[in-house]
Amino acid sequence: MALTGIDIFKQLPKTNCGDCGVPTCLAFAMKIAAGQAELAGCPHLSEDAASALSEASAPPIRAVTIGVGEDAVKVGGELVLYRHEKTFFNPCVFAAVIDDGMDAATIDGLLKQTNESRFVRVEQDLKAGLVGVKSLSGDTAKFTALIEKVKAATTQPMVLMCGDPAAIEAGLKAAGETSPLIYAATADNYEAMAALALEHKAPLAVCGTGDLDALVELVKKIMAAGVKDIVLDPGTRNPKDTLERLVYIRRAALNKKVKELGFPTIVFPNEETEDKMMEAVYAGLYVGKYGSVIMLSDLNAARALPLYVLRQNIYTDPQRPMQVKPGIYPIGNPTADSPVLITSNFSLTYFIVSGEVEGSRVPAWLCVMDTEGLSVMTSWAAGKFVPEKIVPFIKGVGIEEKVKHRKLVIPGYLATMSGELEDELEGWNVEVGPREAADIPPFLKSWAS
Amino acid sequence: MEVKETYNGKIREATIGLGDTAVTVGGETSLPLYMFEGTAPNKPVIALEVYDTKPEDWPEAAVAPYADVLDDPVKWALKCQDEYKADMICLNLASTNPSTGDRTGADIAPIVKAVSDAIKIPLIVYGTANADKDAEVMPKAAEACQGKRALIGPVEEENYKTVAAAALGFDHLAAPHSPIDVNIAKQLNILITQLGLAPERVIIDPTTGALGYGLEYCYSVMERLRLAAMTQNDSMTQMPMINQIGREVWKAKEVKTPEADEPAWGDAETRGVLWEALTATALIMAGSNILVMRHPKAVELTRQFVAALTG
Amino acid sequence: MSKLIATSAIRGAHSLYNRAEAAYNAALAAKGADEPVSFPDTAYYLPVAYALLAIKVKTLGDIKPVLAKAKSMLPEIPAEGAWLPYLGNTLDSGIAALLSEEIIEAMKYVMGPNPVEGIWLGATDDVIVRTQGIKLVDGSMPGFAAVVGAAPTTEEAVKLATELRERNILLFMAGETDGKTMADQLNEAGVEMGWDVYLVPFGRDISAAVYALGVAARAAMTFGGITPAGMKEAREILMYNKNRVFAFVIALGDVDDEKYATAAGAINFGFPVIANTDIPQILPTGITTYEHVVSNVPLDKIVDTAVEVRGIKIKITKIPIPVSFGSAFEGERIRKEAMFVEFGGQKSPAFEYLRMRDMDDIDNGKIEVIGPEIDQMEEGKAYPLGILIEVAGRKMQSDFEPVLERQLHHLVNGAEGIWHMGQRDMNWMRISKSAHDKGFKIEHFGEILKAKLMDDFPAIVDKIQIKLYTDADKMKDVLEEARAAFIARDERVAGLIDESVDTFYSCTLCQSFAPNHVCVISPERLGLCGAYNWLDAKAAHEINPTGANQPIIKGETIDERRGQWSGVNELVRAKSNNSVQKVNAYSIMEDPETSCGCFECVVAILPIANGVMVVNREHTGETPVGMKFSSLAGSVGGGAQTPGFLGVGRQYITSGKFIAAEGGFKRIVWMPKELKEALAGQLKKRSEALGLPDFVDMIADETIGTTEEEVMEYMAKVGHPALEMDSLLG
Repeated sequence: MALTGIDIFKQLPKTNCGDCGVPTCLAFAMKIAAGQAELAGCPHLSEDAASALSEASAPPIRAVTIGVGEDAVKVGGELVLYRHEKTFFNPCVFAAVIDDGMDAATIDGLLKQTNESRFVRVEQDLKAGLVGVKSLSGDTAKFTALIEKVKAATTQPMVLMCGDPAAIEAGLKAAGETSPLIYAATADNYEAMAALALEHKAPLAVCGTGDLDALVELVKKIMAAGVKDIVLDPGTRNPKDTLERLVYIRRAALNKKVKELGFPTIVFPNEETEDKMMEAVYAGLYVGKYGSVIMLSDLNAARALPLYVLRQNIYTDPQRPMQVKPGIYPIGNPTADSPVLITSNFSLTYFIVSGEVEGSRVPAWLCVMDTEGLSVMTSWAAGKFVPEKIVPFIKGVGIEEKVKHRKLVIPGYLATMSGELEDELEGWNVEVGPREAADIPPFLKSWAS
Repeated sequence: MEVKETYNGKIREATIGLGDTAVTVGGETSLPLYMFEGTAPNKPVIALEVYDTKPEDWPEAAVAPYADVLDDPVKWALKCQDEYKADMICLNLASTNPSTGDRTGADIAPIVKAVSDAIKIPLIVYGTANADKDAEVMPKAAEACQGKRALIGPVEEENYKTVAAAALGFDHLAAPHSPIDVNIAKQLNILITQLGLAPERVIIDPTTGALGYGLEYCYSVMERLRLAAMTQNDSMTQMPMINQIGREVWKAKEVKTPEADEPAWGDAETRGVLWEALTATALIMAGSNILVMRHPKAVELTRQFVAALTG
Repeated sequence: MSKLIATSAIRGAHSLYNRAEAAYNAALAAKGADEPVSFPDTAYYLPVAYALLAIKVKTLGDIKPVLAKAKSMLPEIPAEGAWLPYLGNTLDSGIAALLSEEIIEAMKYVMGPNPVEGIWLGATDDVIVRTQGIKLVDGSMPGFAAVVGAAPTTEEAVKLATELRERNILLFMAGETDGKTMADQLNEAGVEMGWDVYLVPFGRDISAAVYALGVAARAAMTFGGITPAGMKEAREILMYNKNRVFAFVIALGDVDDEKYATAAGAINFGFPVIANTDIPQILPTGITTYEHVVSNVPLDKIVDTAVEVRGIKIKITKIPIPVSFGSAFEGERIRKEAMFVEFGGQKSPAFEYLRMRDMDDIDNGKIEVIGPEIDQMEEGKAYPLGILIEVAGRKMQSDFEPVLERQLHHLVNGAEGIWHMGQRDMNWMRISKSAHDKGFKIEHFGEILKAKLMDDFPAIVDKIQIKLYTDADKMKDVLEEARAAFIARDERVAGLIDESVDTFYSCTLCQSFAPNHVCVISPERLGLCGAYNWLDAKAAHEINPTGANQPIIKGETIDERRGQWSGVNELVRAKSNNSVQKVNAYSIMEDPETSCGCFECVVAILPIANGVMVVNREHTGETPVGMKFSSLAGSVGGGAQTPGFLGVGRQYITSGKFIAAEGGFKRIVWMPKELKEALAGQLKKRSEALGLPDFVDMIADETIGTTEEEVMEYMAKVGHPALEMDSLLG
């Protein structure tokens, strides 16, 4: 049972000193309860209170950071089994695996993909997140050379993949102090690997054999050695078994508080099939069901883009919808006579409305207002899509310079405010559009004629 | 490790079609794909889309597999059945949409009859989700395929009495369609069963959002329906589910845009196929039983996925 | 039941049975037992026999047990003057009559003459039953009428047919009066007949009336999913018809024995009989939903009577007004220059008042304008307008009056060129010039309200009549009565306390975005969105029994002070998907209610000040708890229990149960000035009720401070009672 804000507040100094950056102790407590602030933010916390709270407030799944600086990624830290219960917090990451058996052209190609596989969608920067560097040959020199090449070519954090602690040690040195993910500790090499992880402040992946009880035992030893940042590989290499293990790991961590399984995971769809399309489909499975680091054979744009968008969907906060940037969106080269429509900046509303406008083939100006990401009806109900907000938006957004006419089409569901808006929006006529987006094309066609 | 769940609920089995080629869906005793905790006697099935008129706005990659049959619903349905091995056919009565074709029930009844007579596999017939128009069209469509135990949809809150009655009267199944809302889905199921349709003849259509276009809402609503079905034994959520994937996916901007316009997005066919396959597989994870799809390659990927996860 | 009817029906059944037996024996002699028997294109054999006896008649031989069963149900014809236990016997004779009639008709298919001849259509095939059945199920065809006999004149026959058709009621015709049938009359008048036009002539013989029951029986089997097997299923088929097939029999002209027997058969299906002649009535309800036999109804009232007796709801598809109607017009404004006339708005006396009446006191559908119509009004002026809506319904309750009355704003605004605001006797309406040009009249207000209230609230409104007063003198009395009623209603609402009811209501409307949130709505705690109070939720449940508002039987009291009941806990547990185990309706600290996201205000504790603050959605500034409304909303919303925080509706603040477990209203130490002003009257009243007349001034606002420390300073200065109360944190 997570602590409530009140439980936390009781342990705080109750001084409202504001030194934590939050005006009151209760507000600070609420932030901790919501996972938006850390206990360490309070400089006046008594030691007893700190230990009482940190025990109880420690997340059931540890958030692990891979890499350093701007490009570092954080995975894990999840609190729920199903995204509707709260949200999935730290988006999973992908990595194309480069190995030292590849020819130079292949390596260059993969490095290029790693750097260029970036898309901007709904104001979010979509990219893989990591790059895998694997020693196939077992030759330390070849491995370090490859690591140096990758390091020079990209700032993306690495996953260093080799079962030989000596090669990993060399690799870590070659990588510099960049906190790459070490892959992987096994029952045979864990002592050396744990020591390397501690020495280089690098997170450590632990590779199991498919047996979760054995994995728990192994992780226990590695934790005992002092390693805190761990990533779990259940060790299976077919999607049916992997799914089962990932479900059990997540459940054990959240429901049974099994500390040894309270870590992010790493999965290998690239090793579960030869077919790159199926590899992407399996990767999709792990986006939804509990994969944190997902290893791929490449980042071909036509396959990467759908995967990144799937991740974006699954990791959207269900209670905090995605938003698009407010402003004027011209669709299909509109002119000074084209219709002007207004809608909310809830990304789904925007996508559907703009899609239907585009589909109508009637060029139009779509004015997207800042409704804090709420849909049309919800934002209207919340007083964010009402005449007093619309008037300054329309007057200020610059649409009056773009069109000659003064006719504004509002969503059909907002018919009740048409009169009030027309009164307040000087110089404009307000027209009530369709209630459903699907009816926009005929509406625009008749508008245009 | 003691983390195995036991569930007290079960998804109902529903059978579409009659005789040897009838298809049964549902019957799961665990959350979707959790084969380690239950059984799934019937795998998710795939229906291929057929339209009553030649579609005008399909991207090249979607047209290619059907180029020779797009203007003939019967040939189209047969190609889906014989060449692409569809489990079912979903005949979409797009031309009845008031804002495009506005054809009447009487206009399309012969098409429904021709397709239903031509195919051996089960039939799904879908209106345009325009409540008033569907109320006129779907009884005629249901009559035209009587005796086939087809799946008739969508049944909307505004027209459930008429459309579900048509399914009831002509001995079909019905697909109540709710706007991404667990409670409305349940309520519609209650209303339809109160009308007299047995729960075994109901398939939930929870509204489908394509990848990037509301998939997450659809995913979570379906996941919630399945959780209610399995863990709370909530009878009115225990029907199988259907998703209209093809038509949602293939209008997405990222799917329609040719590579020439967006070189950074890569090959358009690969992108479209994977967009559809990822939408389908994500919804299988959320609990879908019937996937209405478009591209044969996406169908193939989805089948392999199902085989790998449930085999 | 009248003995006369019983005797006639029994005699008629005997007569029909004898005819059936004779026809059967003749057919058997001519064709043999293996001769196939069927009605065309049906999978239900002889449908009445199949439905009631589960006998699948395929050959002449199969008819034998049907005849035997019919015979076994025939009661003795009562001797003159003998007393007899009538109802059961009469109903049995009705069944015997129907079985006999079906055999008579079937024998016509075997031996001729073919029942399909000239205008006569004979038996109905399955496709037609299904197609028409859909209309019965979805309500687009509200019911069917089976007419036996003929109208006094051809004109009256045509008029009756037209009246039924206007209501989309399917008309079946069979049987004659003095050698004439209603179908003959329609035929003479050149009226086209057939299934497409809802006029179906079955046959000249009274026995053809059984086809109507054959349709009814198959409707039950097809749409009710009932497969005949025995008595239980037979009863289900009859019950299906009683409850779902809104049919009735119209008996025209003399009712002879065979017609009585047929009518007795129809009563078994729950279909009442309406007659235009003076036959004995059977009024007590029982088998049929309402009355069994209503007689001596003038022909021009027969349809209305039938509709009322059978409880048929007619769907109004188009409102008969000269302007468009729809939600797109709801937000229109009508400026002074565009206005033709206006009503109310302090410029002229006006009111709107809806009251409940007894069924018999309402002349259904009547709209009366009392005073001048619009053509006697001058442009640009204000006139009086009193709208009195009277409704009756078997499920109507006086508590629903205000709920329906509040619909008026949204309904009237739906008309193009009409504008409405306000309510009760403080309303204001305008008719635009363009609406006036199109012919909009005062009576059209009535048309809108009649159509929409009937259509939108069929569960509670059975009958409606509307009076529109445009004469100030004539509306005085009603206005006075309305004002008294408004006061009485307010007192009723004020007097409703949680202890006075045993049922609360849940609201799960917001679960689409807060999946586990359940509002518990009690008389003293309205929904946190402020939109639904207990009466609204009660009415909403009555209107839509499967909707978001479900009754909660309070059950056992677990904690009186905190407001915890076993029934509430059970429901919240179920509706919250097991995520909330118990709730205290009156506590903010211990198992408080959850909040969705729609709350009008957030209540948050100020733990150091030992009080609570309330902030409304409109207030965007800082608050003493250190969070603005938006971040408070983020912490509170989503359907989780958040001790120390509560989303509430404004009206709850002054409720007697407001966080009663923590000391209630006196805990309030801060709220925004705007909110204080908006609620000034109620706050004052509540303070006075608590014996703290100056309490409102002890509540700090943003002009006094927005930090907990400033609030505490102020509290000390004014001697706020929360200083003396138990610690909130326990």
